[in-house]
Amino acid sequence: MGVLILISQPLIYLIIRASEKSGTDVIALLTRQKTLEVLGLTLALLCIVVAVNVFLGTAIAAGLHYVRIPYPRALFVSTILPLAIPSYVFTYTWIALIPSLQGLWAAAFILVLSTMPYMLLAVSISFARIDSGLIEVARSLGLSKFAVFTRVILPQVRRSISAGALLSGLYVLSDFGAVSLLNVETLTVSIQNLFKSSYDRSAASVIGLLLFLAAAIFVSLESVLKGRDFESKSAEGFQERIRRVNNLPLSILTTAVLALYSLLAVVLPFYVLISRYLQNPSAVAISDLATAALSTISVAAMGAFIAFVLSLPLAFLATQGASAFTSVTEKVTLMAHALPGVVVGLALVSFGSRLGPLYQSIFLLAFAYAVLFLAKSVASTSAALSLVSPQLKEVAATLGKSKSRVTMQVVFPIALPNLALGVLLVFLTAMKELPATLMLRPTGMDTLATEIWSYAAISRFNEAAPYALLLVLIAAIPTFILTIPRTVQKETEKKVSNL
Amino acid sequence: MKKLLIGVGVIAGALVIGGAAWVGMGSNKATDEVKELTIYSGRSEEFIAPFFAEWEQESGIKLNIRYGDSAELAAQILEEGKNSPADLFLSQDAGSLGAVSAAGLFTKFPDSAANKIENKYIAGDRTWVGVTGRARVFAYRPGAVTTLPQSVADLTKPAYKDKVGIAPSNASFQAFVTALINEKGEKFAEQWLTGIKSNGAKIFLKNSAIVEAIDKGEIDLGLVNHYYTWEVSEALGRKIKVENGFFLPGDIGNLVNVSGIGALATSQKNDAAIDLINYLTSETTQIAFVEDTHEYSLISGVKSPEALPDLKSIGSPQVDLGALENVQRTQDLLIRVGLL
Repeated sequence: MGVLILISQPLIYLIIRASEKSGTDVIALLTRQKTLEVLGLTLALLCIVVAVNVFLGTAIAAGLHYVRIPYPRALFVSTILPLAIPSYVFTYTWIALIPSLQGLWAAAFILVLSTMPYMLLAVSISFARIDSGLIEVARSLGLSKFAVFTRVILPQVRRSISAGALLSGLYVLSDFGAVSLLNVETLTVSIQNLFKSSYDRSAASVIGLLLFLAAAIFVSLESVLKGRDFESKSAEGFQERIRRVNNLPLSILTTAVLALYSLLAVVLPFYVLISRYLQNPSAVAISDLATAALSTISVAAMGAFIAFVLSLPLAFLATQGASAFTSVTEKVTLMAHALPGVVVGLALVSFGSRLGPLYQSIFLLAFAYAVLFLAKSVASTSAALSLVSPQLKEVAATLGKSKSRVTMQVVFPIALPNLALGVLLVFLTAMKELPATLMLRPTGMDTLATEIWSYAAISRFNEAAPYALLLVLIAAIPTFILTIPRTVQKETEKKVSNL
Repeated sequence: MKKLLIGVGVIAGALVIGGAAWVGMGSNKATDEVKELTIYSGRSEEFIAPFFAEWEQESGIKLNIRYGDSAELAAQILEEGKNSPADLFLSQDAGSLGAVSAAGLFTKFPDSAANKIENKYIAGDRTWVGVTGRARVFAYRPGAVTTLPQSVADLTKPAYKDKVGIAPSNASFQAFVTALINEKGEKFAEQWLTGIKSNGAKIFLKNSAIVEAIDKGEIDLGLVNHYYTWEVSEALGRKIKVENGFFLPGDIGNLVNVSGIGALATSQKNDAAIDLINYLTSETTQIAFVEDTHEYSLISGVKSPEALPDLKSIGSPQVDLGALENVQRTQDLLIRVGLL
């Protein structure tokens, strides 16, 4: 209950502000031609990006996991790194390459590039955990490799695909950097415009509620699509070795697609930034870089930790059987994720400025990250907990274990990789968060994202480059760690084959 | 036992907090001296930090500086209301100051403060004062343009077909269009915008992109703020082939907007705040601003940025800068003519 109140702050804020407008004004604002156009454009963008992500993302993740490719771990990490590049920097570098880049399709292209990692991460981790015994059985029953994939593997990762779709869709709804630079007025851009250019907080809040409604529809659609859980996986499935398909054309195709993706989403943006830097290299104080990096890591880690703690009871209750309360809480969390950073920032300013010394402290900032990104943690955590088969829990219970011991000894170990994924996602996105950081950081504290912003705002992309580079390097480390289970498997494989 | 412990804890906690508050109040009364001042700055750190540092040295008061986007900081101050920790708000543009002023959150400052700044650049109710001037100009490539335009109205003529760049989504362009609407009426503004659009004006996202495009020869001239020629040249690390031009004196295209500062009514440290305002608007600081940031000083008689005419001879139109606050109507118009 407490969690629900905490995370509803932005929503409460929107309702209070919006209610300052008269009913007729609200109706006029909502029904004017422009609002409808903006809504249409937002939904179109959402559908395109999510559809491409679902099909292409699943295919790429499958390739990463089931096809023999060179350096699978490095390729995997490189496809996750775009997560660490702030949206406006990413888009800026693309505009520098193609100045005419504009409009809906350009925005869809950029957003697919930047949200694909959500899909890849969610789906890859599920692939890695599928009970390989089941695959063996299916093969021995005479199913072709393709049929195994579509009939045995896909149904088991359906929930993860839908979690990935959800996260990428909510990202599209809340993104400001890419769409504003590409001149696509989505609901989030409208909200920002109303806040910034007419200081009309009430009108902005009305549109904010409309965005919330759009997110609500999207989230409910998603829960219909993900269907009922019928997956049950064993813990030891996790340890099983992966059989990669050894087919040359398929290997070449997969490698090429992965390389192309890394080229477009990581290499090219960095090429632009580094070449800007080299055009006019400027001395960057190592101490500035180090301080900014340190504050970024510590606040983002705190935020990730808070989000993790808050998501545990939610996700746990959600898997204990769906009570109306937990499902509402989970949905509100997800919808809140669609709100732009500036709304969450202002809501916490409004509520936090009454807290005296807590206001503009790193605690409130970390809490803001938790509110902003809790959905990432909840989505991954509940996907993780649903992996634990009810039978397993029942067996454990009949062996006389208490509920909490079942959770600690049975549920937790199985869910661990996905829990780690949730923490990682919050950490990565919190590191690059800008609008709420600007409003809530302790006065005088710089993060890597605020440093990048302050140089980019005066067109000094050359000086922003080192900070952006460092941000991605820092992001690479936890991402790399997350992929370690794969190497552990490989080493076990080696040991086994040496025997 | 547990309850007892909790009770003791609560009492101890209350004592500590109460004691701290008591000590805090005591020391406030005893010294009366301001040790720290909090300023929200919409001006970028790169340009303004050295000046703040100098004032800190002179006054012995430590500045807590919060950098951000001017409009977002204004929204933040509006949201904080009377709980705002800010003592001062330094903004890139007059519009954000106007919004805070309209909410009654600024204090009026005395006539003796900022007394060198021309009245034209001070809010009518003396709630904020301009610090530097930012002139709208047409940037152009010398040699490429045979006859320079004399008025913004000229830019809709065939001579400039497909040669002009504008940035309709940019705040400074929107402030200019707002002034155009306020001075000449919405109808005139609409005709001008439609005219410039059908004359093949190229759309850019930022002023700096317009200047870069002129340098590359993609367009011949563009409507920007005057300091972008320096900003782009510094970012690229080389000289560029772009110069600033002004329309005839009094033309709305010569609008001079200001960055400015106001002191918050909730602040208990108004004397120190006004001391900082006086420092920023003193002749010495203003001369340094002109050299460092290439913006205009708002004191008459201070030299203008190199190679540019002084503010008086530009003949900037008489416009209520604080009234440029609401650009909603401007944006609706830009959308209607298809420029946004």
